Amino acid sequence: MQTLERTPTTRLDGLTLALLGTGTLAFLVALYFVLTSPPEVSQGYVYRIVFVHISSAWVGYLAAFGCLAYSVAYLVTRRPAHDRMAAVMAELILLFMGLTLVQGMLYARPTWGVYWEWEPRLTTTAILFAVYVGYFVLRAAIEDPELRAKAAAAVGILGVINVPISYMSVIWWRSLHQVQSFNLTTGKSQFDPAMLPALLVTLAALTLLFLGFARFKGFLAAQSAHQEAIGG
Amino acid sequence: MRGDRTWPRGRAIPDTLGGGGAVRRIFWLAWRDLTLELRGRAGLLAVVFFLTVMLLILGLAFGPYPQDLRKAAPGVLWVALAFAGSLLASRAFGLEVEDGTLDDLLLTPGGKEWIYYGKLLFQMILLLAVGLILIVFTAGLFYLPLAAWPGLLLTLLLGTLGYASVSTFYAGMLARLRGRDVLLPLLLFPIVVPVVLSSVQATIGLAQGLPVAEMRHWWQLLLVFDVIYVTVCSLLFPWVLEG
Amino acid sequence: MMTDPPSLLHAEALSKRYGRDWVIQGLDFSLRGGEVVALLGPNGVGKTTLLRLLAGLVRPTLGRVSGRARIGLLANPPAFYRHLSGEENLAYALRLEDRTPDLAAIRRILERVGLPGKKPVLSYSSGMKKRLALAKLQLLWPQVWLLDEPEAALDAQGRELLGEIVRQARKGGGVVIATHDRAWITELADRQVVLGGGV
Repeated sequence: MQTLERTPTTRLDGLTLALLGTGTLAFLVALYFVLTSPPEVSQGYVYRIVFVHISSAWVGYLAAFGCLAYSVAYLVTRRPAHDRMAAVMAELILLFMGLTLVQGMLYARPTWGVYWEWEPRLTTTAILFAVYVGYFVLRAAIEDPELRAKAAAAVGILGVINVPISYMSVIWWRSLHQVQSFNLTTGKSQFDPAMLPALLVTLAALTLLFLGFARFKGFLAAQSAHQEAIGG
Repeated sequence: MRGDRTWPRGRAIPDTLGGGGAVRRIFWLAWRDLTLELRGRAGLLAVVFFLTVMLLILGLAFGPYPQDLRKAAPGVLWVALAFAGSLLASRAFGLEVEDGTLDDLLLTPGGKEWIYYGKLLFQMILLLAVGLILIVFTAGLFYLPLAAWPGLLLTLLLGTLGYASVSTFYAGMLARLRGRDVLLPLLLFPIVVPVVLSSVQATIGLAQGLPVAEMRHWWQLLLVFDVIYVTVCSLLFPWVLEG
Repeated sequence: MMTDPPSLLHAEALSKRYGRDWVIQGLDFSLRGGEVVALLGPNGVGKTTLLRLLAGLVRPTLGRVSGRARIGLLANPPAFYRHLSGEENLAYALRLEDRTPDLAAIRRILERVGLPGKKPVLSYSSGMKKRLALAKLQLLWPQVWLLDEPEAALDAQGRELLGEIVRQARKGGGVVIATHDRAWITELADRQVVLGGGV
């Protein structure tokens, strides 16, 4: 008879350390690129935040699809490890989406003159952020680990499916509202080739850090789950 | 081997309830819940009373000029309906939990999806009834024009289906939890933002007397949402309901 | 290997954990047709959990339950819609299995267990609810009868009725009865399974 789970190793594996290490290095390089990138024509130096803004949004959505994948995997296989990883992904969603929202507001204030703009992507991100706040409140509310995992998986799946629909609804909502629109897309299409390296390096750095964090948090979660199982 | 391939148990039973049988069961489940709801009465009346008070407060806040009220009407209608929906959602499984009858429902042979559909139908009927009352109220208090009533009814139907598809699912999932009344709106509202947005927009268009063709966008989006969520929720439902 | 009578329900290495506590661990159980099995053991030993596992209401942490028989569970205490009458409760139970309720048959069965069918279950005593639950199982007539302390709250006459029903039920299927009352169950059961302190 197979036992519930393998005993986790007590040491971090090399890959996790390598990901965290190269991620940190890449982030330092990215900082150099970002801080030396030329000022944007109309927005000046404020524009530099966009590199990190876009990158953390990208990683946030990556984490959302990771959460979706692990949630589906949990429902199919019922392995607690998948549930733990889904929760880790959700934490990273909150982290990176939270960063994205704050950066968005910091960027919006000097460029648009307001802290918040009902821009489709920002709104969709805020909705997704709210979904995952609910995700953790739900996890905290359920004691039975299996029921908690199942319910959380359902929320993870529904939350991500919601993204494209929210996006479409907000886009159409904006287009019919006829309010003066500040669109990030226009900024992106005018992307100066000179700025591309900075963006790509930041993107790579945050992705590496994300993978490293995910493995590290997964390792910690496995440790504490094991402690709990043996009654420590 | 971990787990059980014949799970959920109902699936392993040769299905004698395909087609008409399943539809009849769904109908009877919704019918029984309606009977219980109407015998209880207190619940539904409380929701209508809550909505009346809410509309009065909103009317005082937005008034007294008719043009302001008319502009606020679609938003008021759908926000009120969303609140009512979150109150009504807990009724979908509330009695099953109070009376402890959920197990009997789960023991009936032949899959569990039909339970979701039965409860969804029950929720739809409640929401549509409350929605119709609300439309009349907003027409009276907020001057919502009723000239384009077929469009309004279509929007109400699509919007409530999208809303109920998620609220019924979450109500079932949270049925056995103690803090369900707090958790439900917290989980539900972010998910139904697109439904509420689209419904509000369609209602605004109808209120402004725009041609029906311009509302097609919103109805399409609502339909997409309805189809996706009803499908996904009915697939997930058997998994989250087992104990 | 024995092939007959056929096995209605079969559990292998069944285990259930709630939090850190294993309620059931590595239990093998099999129910054959025409058999009445008594589940004995002190409170909190997992009798109810085992019945719910066998019914498929609880997913085992490890192991599996197999079987295709139609299962009926008499819970303790039995659950009914309080605002529906006894008759209505039974009628809807049939309707939700897509069977057309025969009102005359329902009344006959209610009469047999001695219940006022028109009154809401709200007004029933716990013994009456037990009787109503027995009436429901008779109507649904499952192949596997899982009874959780069916004798509790029943009077002497009620127990007699219960014994009669159990003897009828075993002809068409199998019965598992969880109980504390050894004296009562010994004459009824073919086999005893004692939970707790060595399965």
